[in-house]
Amino acid sequence: MSKALSFNPLIPLKMHVIHPQFPAKKTTAKPFSISARLQNQQQQLNLSVLRFTLGIPGLDESYLPRWIGYGFGSLLVLNHFVGSDSATATPAQLRTEVLGLSLAAFSIFIPYIGKFLKGASPADQATIPEGTEQIFVMSQNISDTQKEDLAWATYILLRNTNTIATLISVQGELCARGYWNIPEKVSKANLLDWFERQIERIGLKDLKDTLYFPQSSDSVLWEMLPKGTRSLLVQPVLQVPKPGANQVEKIEGFVLLASSMSYAYGDKDKAWIGALANKFGG
Amino acid sequence: MEAGSLLHSPIPWNPKLSLRRRIRSTFPRFFYFRAFSSSSSSSSSSDSQGGYRGPKPRRDWVADWVSNNDDVVRSLPICVGGASLLAVLLNRTVSGIAPVADASSSQSRADLLTLGLAVTNILTGLVWLSIRPKSVSVVSPQGVECRRIYSHLPDSVVSELTWVWQSLSEVTCCRSLIVVYDSHCVLQIGFAAGYSIDDGEPVAVDADKLMQGSLCQGVIKSGAQSYLANLSLYPGKSELPFLPSNTQAVLLQPLGEKGIAIIGGDTIRGFTTSDQAWITLIGEKLDATLAKNVRNTPLVVQDQL
Repeated sequence: MSKALSFNPLIPLKMHVIHPQFPAKKTTAKPFSISARLQNQQQQLNLSVLRFTLGIPGLDESYLPRWIGYGFGSLLVLNHFVGSDSATATPAQLRTEVLGLSLAAFSIFIPYIGKFLKGASPADQATIPEGTEQIFVMSQNISDTQKEDLAWATYILLRNTNTIATLISVQGELCARGYWNIPEKVSKANLLDWFERQIERIGLKDLKDTLYFPQSSDSVLWEMLPKGTRSLLVQPVLQVPKPGANQVEKIEGFVLLASSMSYAYGDKDKAWIGALANKFGG
Repeated sequence: MEAGSLLHSPIPWNPKLSLRRRIRSTFPRFFYFRAFSSSSSSSSSSDSQGGYRGPKPRRDWVADWVSNNDDVVRSLPICVGGASLLAVLLNRTVSGIAPVADASSSQSRADLLTLGLAVTNILTGLVWLSIRPKSVSVVSPQGVECRRIYSHLPDSVVSELTWVWQSLSEVTCCRSLIVVYDSHCVLQIGFAAGYSIDDGEPVAVDADKLMQGSLCQGVIKSGAQSYLANLSLYPGKSELPFLPSNTQAVLLQPLGEKGIAIIGGDTIRGFTTSDQAWITLIGEKLDATLAKNVRNTPLVVQDQL
């Protein structure tokens, strides 16, 4: 399933018009159902956007202004010191150089701002950090429907969001799936206990508000996460209070998602993750 | 979807992405993070959560500011680039140097480098302006609210169906949801067309006729979701008389071989690719749940407005 289409701010050497993956076929006298589906495919893929691209696969062009900024900025500095005698630099040259250096600083800053614009999708995909192993553990003494729910929920989170590791805790039962860094001394059988201990240490079970750390930081919370984690989202699962009963919302658990990209979870992702958390509460 | 099959199936990662390392320069990120956010290190414990001892996230001022001033920020690179271009040329003329592009003097070299940077900014600005997403307005559906659930369903299935409706109506632009399974209309909730112009009874779903229509047959045969992003363009709209007449977008999600979920939205192209992906997987779960539970008894309607 394709994620994250188009919308990278890219920079020129030649202009390409990028066609959607399924090129528009001429459907003259075809039955309704087939032509509807082709039109659907075209509309599903958003627009054919004019993109400037170098055409090198694997090269991420949205960071090109930054590299150009570094390169030209350093060339400017080089030119100032090596190209001519510093003493003979004219005011005109100094003005140009100051202008050039501030432009270079601005260019370096541009990809950072570009990420927050509407319609910008993350330029990089989630990469799996090294040294992690893929695990899937679940508490054993729960009903089959709950097991199915937990397995499906972790699957959908790993598949549809930029997540590499997920941990769900509902009413004391745990399910962990994805790529984690497990210390060597913990054997497979004790994995659930290890997770329990980590959770107890941080007190995640008493979380009331959603936590979102879009950039990595050094804190006790991050020690249990896989090494390459850059953003973290913890969504509490609250029990929906029944109307007429006491209005206190009970905390049932939490959903923890770790991703190897920064700013991995946009507003839409957070809304869906909140909706998924509601499934487990109440 | 049995739990066992998920336990043994590998998580499908795109093989191209598996070990790719991005060339990433982290220097500017930390530099600007220090400059523009209040602190780069997180606080230690916070006791206000009553037992939660971890850090709390800081507000990201740059991200908030950029999201709120989207238009201004989009036109910023092109203005800056254009202004610098003019400034360089002005500088050359004012200083009495001939505007000839040669690299012989250091002044010319500095000018050329600055011009290159200005052009980079202008082109980035052009790309940003060209990808501005168009905002589409919401069209309120004309119809009556209804809530019909097939009565012979166990509570767990009913709660799952209500969860699906709540998620869809809160997160996406969905305003009507119909689930048909095994020739029964299992759920009709949200807005529906009324029999008469002003607030009549909601139109019932003729499950057999719907399932045999070409729209649903096509979707179920292909097994893939079908997204009618702008419903007014499709003549097949006549097969969905129970939806409000001004429904803007419709998503048809097959539930296995026997069912279909019809999701009506109030904005043209209102369902994003992320929504579609989530709805596909939710459809699979619904199919598994319903397959265990729908029985062949006549439909009894519960109307709750």
